[in-house]
Amino acid sequence: MLQPKNDLLQGTLALLVLKTLARGPQHGYGVTLHIQMVSKDILRVEEGSLYPALHRMEQDGWVSAEWGISENNRRARYYRLTAKGRKQLAEEEKNWERLTQAVAHVLHFA
Amino acid sequence: MSWIARLRGMLRRERLDQDLDEELRSHLEMRTADNLAAGMSPEEARYEAQKRFGNTTLLKEDTRAADILGWLDECSRDFRHALRMLQRSPGFTAVAVLTLALGIGANTALFSVINAVLLHPLPYHDPDSLAMVWESNSQHSNPHNTVSPPNFLDWQSRNTVFSSMAFIFDERDNLTGNGDPQEVVVQDVSTNFFSLLGVDPLIGPGFTPENGQPGHANVVILSYGLWKERFAGDPAIVGKSILLNGRHQTVVGVAPQNFQWFIKDGSLTGAKPQMWSPFVFPQSFHDHKQIGRFMTVVARLRPGATHSEAQTQMNAIASRLEQEYPDFDGHWGVNVVPLRQQISGDVRPALLVLFGAVAFVLLIACANVSSLLLARAASREREMAIRTAIGASRWRIARQLLMESLLLALIGGGIGVALAVWGTNALLAASPRNLLDLRAVSMDLRVLAFAVGATLLAGLLFGFLPSYLSAHSRISQTLKEGGRGSSSANRRALARNAFVVAQLGLALVLLTGAGLLTRSFVRLIGVDPGFDTGHLLTFKVALPGSKYGTDQLCLAFFRQLLARISTVPGVRFVSMESFPPLTGLGAATGVRLLSQPARPLSDLPVADVGVVGPDYFTTMSIPLHAGRLFSTQELAEEKHVTIINQAFADKYLHGVNPLGQKAAIYMKSFAENEIHPSEIIGVVGDVHHIGLDTAPEPTVYWPHPELVMSGMTILVRTSNDPSAMVSAARNELQQIDPELPMAAVATMDQLLADSLSRSRFTMLLLGIFAAVAVVLASVGIYGLIAYSVTQRTPELGIRIALGAQRRDVLRLVLGQGTRLTLLAVAVGVPAALAFSRLLATLLFGVSATDPITFAGVAALLALVALLACFIPARRATRVDPIVALRYE
Repeated sequence: MLQPKNDLLQGTLALLVLKTLARGPQHGYGVTLHIQMVSKDILRVEEGSLYPALHRMEQDGWVSAEWGISENNRRARYYRLTAKGRKQLAEEEKNWERLTQAVAHVLHFA
Repeated sequence: MSWIARLRGMLRRERLDQDLDEELRSHLEMRTADNLAAGMSPEEARYEAQKRFGNTTLLKEDTRAADILGWLDECSRDFRHALRMLQRSPGFTAVAVLTLALGIGANTALFSVINAVLLHPLPYHDPDSLAMVWESNSQHSNPHNTVSPPNFLDWQSRNTVFSSMAFIFDERDNLTGNGDPQEVVVQDVSTNFFSLLGVDPLIGPGFTPENGQPGHANVVILSYGLWKERFAGDPAIVGKSILLNGRHQTVVGVAPQNFQWFIKDGSLTGAKPQMWSPFVFPQSFHDHKQIGRFMTVVARLRPGATHSEAQTQMNAIASRLEQEYPDFDGHWGVNVVPLRQQISGDVRPALLVLFGAVAFVLLIACANVSSLLLARAASREREMAIRTAIGASRWRIARQLLMESLLLALIGGGIGVALAVWGTNALLAASPRNLLDLRAVSMDLRVLAFAVGATLLAGLLFGFLPSYLSAHSRISQTLKEGGRGSSSANRRALARNAFVVAQLGLALVLLTGAGLLTRSFVRLIGVDPGFDTGHLLTFKVALPGSKYGTDQLCLAFFRQLLARISTVPGVRFVSMESFPPLTGLGAATGVRLLSQPARPLSDLPVADVGVVGPDYFTTMSIPLHAGRLFSTQELAEEKHVTIINQAFADKYLHGVNPLGQKAAIYMKSFAENEIHPSEIIGVVGDVHHIGLDTAPEPTVYWPHPELVMSGMTILVRTSNDPSAMVSAARNELQQIDPELPMAAVATMDQLLADSLSRSRFTMLLLGIFAAVAVVLASVGIYGLIAYSVTQRTPELGIRIALGAQRRDVLRLVLGQGTRLTLLAVAVGVPAALAFSRLLATLLFGVSATDPITFAGVAALLALVALLACFIPARRATRVDPIVALRYE
């Protein structure tokens, strides 16, 4: 069965992926590793959500993809942030900040 | 899309799939390698990597769906799957497709007729700003009365809402020279007729305003048909002279091929025109107000003006005229009718009722297929549950099922359109000329769009509920319960019951309509026309004024013709009259009875006027009720006598002996001093002159010398087949004058059949639709009961094992059907009451709420429905308890 789809979580995944790719082109596996590592194992990206998300972003023109060779000599599909994706990232970051601020306010004053 | 582009798309899709596979594989390998590096065993490493992927199929599907091409690909997968599923159950597919093809085909066929009749553009410039302008009399209840020339002139000069107004009246004239003499229908028009309609002649200059001046009106415009047939399409016809009623007329144009002007109301000939000629009002027409009402008027609205504004202004003009000329215009008003409404006016109600009926048939068909799908969904519940378990989403399952529905609809629709092409032709072939006078109805884009729309709508309509219910069933329960007796099965049973009730209810509505029309038709053919229609030949002879200019010549001609025909062997009687019965034609005027107090002209009793020849009442077998018939002398010269019919005596001379009374009949003139009152010498039986569905009008009969008419319909009563006498009669006619054509030849039985054909056709068509509806609805209830018997086989087995009798089982099963049928009747009767109100204008002698029809139809439907239930019920009584219980 499908997980109930949550807009917040979905949006967050896009933000995390875009932010990761902002560091430079990366393949899907690299994206999961990076997020897991940087979040100190707190955030784990499900493959089941990652690939649909990556392909949707590609369709929307936020990222472009091409085949390349990984560090250990494997063919892998590398995703690169486009100009449109950069703009989207800025937008998503702003939204995220607004959201966390709002949540923080609620936590402090409720 | 070219095939190269399509091929490229396919290749790209293939590459996309490969890309995705490879991408995921590389991901898996990297994870496995890292796991190995972290110290897992190779097996463990691969298993862990695989597990994190979860449902790979779903992942792939979701990823593919992110891509438009991938989404299309998913749909095509669904499509292929749907195709396989339909192939796997050919019986179900065939029934569903045929049901839909029937529904969609019938709808498309009828829509193509409606498209041609009601929606087709009229062959005039900006037809929506054209209007017919009629006179209407508050006392005679004819909303489309023809117009008198002086009133036309006043309207024309006083109104500001119309940019122009034209008049038309038609007559039959004799066309001679080049070839056999031929009677042609000529419309006398004002010179602005063509320019008002915005139509230019195909060739020739057409009429000029100058043609409206006395002495310049000897010009004609030919119809395309006449030009082709009579003049072989002569390209140099313009400027040539033709002989019309023995007078030379110059051809100044040929009308375009699609040009037509025929307004049935107010047409004196009842036929389409073959020629147009300008008519110049003589000075007497300008003098108020002596001349009768006989013209049709068409007008074009000024830009920006609306039909209702026109009506308002014309009302004001009419009420002023009423004050200025109380004698002539008292009680007379004006009725402005948009041209489109005028043309489709009398066909519209029948077509709309039939279209409503055929839409009901499609709804029933949809309910039937929906019901079938629900039954099938029950048996596929496990399949769906398993698909859900391995990761298909609800939307995915609903989409799959909807795809199956749409596929069914598309196949059904395709066959339906083919059926419609055939059905439209059959419809046209079967339809009477006075209902649909169309040579061909083409399948244009609008019809195709309608068919596609109906197909998709039907697919969604019957597919939605089954897909929705399937997608929302709970899998754990389904798998546990083995697909039987589950909550989703209950909901499906409820839905199927509702469908059956709806089907039977809709069928009841159609059956009621058909029942009312049938009863009305039976009433109609039961009407005694008032004369004997068998063995009676009719044809028209019109004498040209150029050759038969005086009354004496006309009288002598007809006297000679009747005498000659009466000598033909096989002729029992021969006579003639001014307008033949049952064709909707006639003349009427005001009659003043001298014994009654004087009244203004416009308040006088109105009567039809029939001008008749010798032996008329004997020839027609119209009985004499009182007094005597015309004497030989009265039939030879003007003696100022008249015979009235019973309706006249009952309506205007109630309780008074009519014989010997004197009546001033305002036919020849309205001037008091010019009228010589006629003495009533006899009373005869009533004749349904206009048609069987119209009550006999009060009528006065005059012998021919009282009102000499140059065009008469000859009536020949024969002892054998009347149509065999045509050539003998023609022979006699040509012996007297070889230049005279014999027009409108028909037997009276044919005229009677023609006058009934429209009612018969509507009744027949609605009857067919109702029969289809009843069959579909019976199949629906049969299917439901049969299915429930199958489902309840174990229960029935236990009941029988415990000692239930055949009768108990029968009652149990039939009880279910009875409840549904009664519910359907309860729902259907109010719906039928609403529908039959639309039928009211088509009914004759039967009320739209006729209780006998309603009761009979409800009983019939209940009987058919119960018979349909009886077949599975009988099967239920034969359930073998041992076999039934072994299933559990």
